[in-house]
Amino acid sequence: MVLDQLRRVFEPFALLKNLFKKPMTLQFPYEVLPELGGYRGRHMLDLEKCAGCFICAMVCPNKAIFPVEFQGRKYPRVDLGKCCFCQLCEEYCPQNAIKLTSYAMLVTTDKESAVITPEELGKMPGH
Amino acid sequence: MEEREISFATLPFGPQHPASSHFHALVKVEGEGVLELEPHPGYLHRGFEKLMEYRTHPQNCVLVDRICVLDPFANELGYVNAVEKLGNLEVPERGRYIRLIMTEFGRIQSHITWIGIMGMALGFDSICRIAWGDREKIIRLNEMATGGRLYPCYFCLGGTRRDISPEFVKLAFETLNYLEEQLDFYDRVFFNNESFITRTKGVGKLTAKEAIELGATGPNLRACGIDYDVRKDEPYEVYPKVNFRAITRVEGDAYARSLCRRDEIAESISIVRQLLRDLPEGPFNTEVNPLYAAPKGECYFCVEAARGELCFHMVSDGSPFPYRVKVRGPSFSHSLVEFPRLAKGAMIADIPVIYWSLDPCPADMDR
Repeated sequence: MVLDQLRRVFEPFALLKNLFKKPMTLQFPYEVLPELGGYRGRHMLDLEKCAGCFICAMVCPNKAIFPVEFQGRKYPRVDLGKCCFCQLCEEYCPQNAIKLTSYAMLVTTDKESAVITPEELGKMPGH
Repeated sequence: MEEREISFATLPFGPQHPASSHFHALVKVEGEGVLELEPHPGYLHRGFEKLMEYRTHPQNCVLVDRICVLDPFANELGYVNAVEKLGNLEVPERGRYIRLIMTEFGRIQSHITWIGIMGMALGFDSICRIAWGDREKIIRLNEMATGGRLYPCYFCLGGTRRDISPEFVKLAFETLNYLEEQLDFYDRVFFNNESFITRTKGVGKLTAKEAIELGATGPNLRACGIDYDVRKDEPYEVYPKVNFRAITRVEGDAYARSLCRRDEIAESISIVRQLLRDLPEGPFNTEVNPLYAAPKGECYFCVEAARGELCFHMVSDGSPFPYRVKVRGPSFSHSLVEFPRLAKGAMIADIPVIYWSLDPCPADMDR
């Protein structure tokens, strides 16, 4: 009984072994976890495929997609401040034009730059 | 005889207390003893039930994740099942298996996070860091299968939105083996720790009769000796094909509730192993129109979430939007009914212990 109690008192000191281990955390943004594929990050739009049907804007739960004028016709514009990255726009796009890339470095101090214009949407993010 | 002067003070508990998350309560104390505890909920109210009335079913599947951050899969499972029950939608066998695999991983994630928070409430910060580090392994699995780390947005009407890959199955087995090893480690440093036992044994004792009266569900009810688990008693999805037991204990105190959760992690690990082993081939979902309109009528569907019974009462008027959705979350009774009852007569230092042994989620309570 006493031995049992002593064991229960001293066994938690097994935690001390963590002093000699590397920390679990990474020094973000200098170190980043490896990608596993399929992460839902910033959008990308194939300007040639987009038919301008705006089903993406209709299914968007947060109304983050708006039609804007670009190169003489309507294209979607995405407000990342409102977007919840649910991927419904990609899922219901009949032309497979809008896609979510795994790019996730989206922190900004400027509200305006969170709105992605069709021109920016056409390019691969991070380049 | 000299009359003793009664002097009591009122202490606020939360909403920014590290041990209360977003829950606020006023504690009336006399010396070290608690005379009364008055809960003040509402700091996380987002109005989900009203929001759902303006959204279509695919949009709501994304929204219900946010009801409880730590256990999103159970919320999604309850919602999609309620709509599928209303509309008699077909779900392929593989889709049902994948749903349960992710839901059980969600349960493990929720309970492991709870180990961390319970450790923090007891002043045992190391276990908090270690448990949250282990939770990261399951979040990585979420990311691999669903594309989202905390909010998976994974289940849809008629199945799941993505299939799981053989690499996921391999990583899942590795994670389960790792978690099983870690569970032994938690036993040694946390659950069998003398200070943990001293702080929790006999604290916040709930009898079986009281637990039923107060509307307790989940591990809090099973820790009082009542063998009630929705997965067993009203099985849904493919639970009848899985071999598992409902974990019960008889003591009904904070220690029993803690051990109930610990054993549930072990049981969930075994459930996921069985599901991954028997995972059938074939399609994982059926195509459902984004403007799917459930037929006119109403239904009630319950699932066993990590914290207890989670029910959806859905009324449909035949339009693509639900007419009314009522969510019965498990945390409402845990923090607003059981907690004040258990805190009465306890010591101030036991308040965080009692609160976290009930494992409420303020986000689920306020909704």
